[in-house]
Amino acid sequence: MACTGSTTQHHRGRSPALFTLIGCLTLLSLGGCGSLHAKPPTDPDDLADYKAVNDPYEPFNRKMFSLNMWVYHKALRPVGRFWKNYIPQPIRTSVATLNETWREPAVFFSDVGAGRPRRAGDAFMRFLLNMTTAGFYDVAQHLGYKQHETDPGMVLALWGVKSGPYIFLPGLGPTNFRDATGYAISQGLTPINYVPSGYGLISFNWGYNILGTFNTFADSTDQLDQLEHQSLDPYAFMRSAWQQQRQSQIDALRADHRATTPDWY
Amino acid sequence: MMLRQLTRRTILGAASLFALVPTLAFATPSSDEAKAFVNEFGGKLVAVLNSDTSLDRKREALLPLLRANVDVPGIARYCLGRYWRTATPEQQKLYLELFQDVLLNAVTARVGEYQNISVRLVDSVPSPAGQKVTLQISRPHQPSILMTAVIDGEPPKVVDLYGEGASMRLTQRSDYTTYLTRHGGQVQTLIDALKRQLGRP
Repeated sequence: MACTGSTTQHHRGRSPALFTLIGCLTLLSLGGCGSLHAKPPTDPDDLADYKAVNDPYEPFNRKMFSLNMWVYHKALRPVGRFWKNYIPQPIRTSVATLNETWREPAVFFSDVGAGRPRRAGDAFMRFLLNMTTAGFYDVAQHLGYKQHETDPGMVLALWGVKSGPYIFLPGLGPTNFRDATGYAISQGLTPINYVPSGYGLISFNWGYNILGTFNTFADSTDQLDQLEHQSLDPYAFMRSAWQQQRQSQIDALRADHRATTPDWY
Repeated sequence: MMLRQLTRRTILGAASLFALVPTLAFATPSSDEAKAFVNEFGGKLVAVLNSDTSLDRKREALLPLLRANVDVPGIARYCLGRYWRTATPEQQKLYLELFQDVLLNAVTARVGEYQNISVRLVDSVPSPAGQKVTLQISRPHQPSILMTAVIDGEPPKVVDLYGEGASMRLTQRSDYTTYLTRHGGQVQTLIDALKRQLGRP
């Protein structure tokens, strides 16, 4: 979740991560954080690289990345490995489906915002069908409504909003100003965040968040271990991979002009 | 006179361009050629991966296949970016050798994850970097993986791989060039780091 090189914004932390996001964005937007901002180099080749990576807050981001990887090694990796090695696959799959299902409203509204009715229809049907099992089982996939990802950050990109600088935030991982804003919007569109107190629903919300976090970390530990083992500069490696993957997701959404009728029709 | 010069220049220019056309046509394989190459190379890879031999034997069998079908020197030069020009011939030679070992180690280290797999060719589209051929790799009890191979050159070879929308050689290039920028821009520091990565003195 936090330090994953995976592409999607939604897999990241939830409410606590939202506070981290707001705090870090405020910090970065303050003018007095000179030491957090890398000065543009004077060498033309270095300057070209500096512009290409779009990472003016690299000193700050590297500190956050180091902090994240420290937490990952001390706490999150052992928990993630335990989850992956000792929890049966059907349970892990159910937790993953639960997380996906409860995110579907945010996916639906994002698809509507992007003007992609076919995708919106798929997300709507997925939520409807999977909620018959409270979101634990992916009924929709067997009926032809495959899971896909759309988030408000991608919609903002389609609307022509520039990405803004790259940032790496603890609890959120790689992102940029536009996608971090999109993440905050998607939290507002996720119904689980409006669970009232009482009736055991708060426990469900906590369970949902904690188990979802374990699950995402468990899926990411192999990737993160490989990243640390095979790259000379894991921060730069993750930044490049994430920026490319994100652009590829946006390009795929832009190119999706499928008819509104589902595959089985 | 002016018109005659212009005409002569135009004709010479056009002739040069036409002379280039066959070269360009041979440099980038057609969709069918790329598919045929991927089918043949993929078939051999799958045969090795799905065989009943030990992991060490599989790694031994994979090395010549990868050397023959992947443009390792081309990928290595691309990954060094602008620093390739600043490296001495000896550094270039040493870097190429180390890069080949790093790449082959990275591929063969994951052999165990790919058993009883099947590969299906999904799509083939041209791109400036070469013909992009997308494959679906299916593994038992695991979600299938989409991977795109970029095929270029004569004879055709794999020049890049895309996983989840990210170019592997571009990501590696970012890794190496950032490392070099942050370590004084000396190619020798990268060579030393690659040696450490491979556990060599």
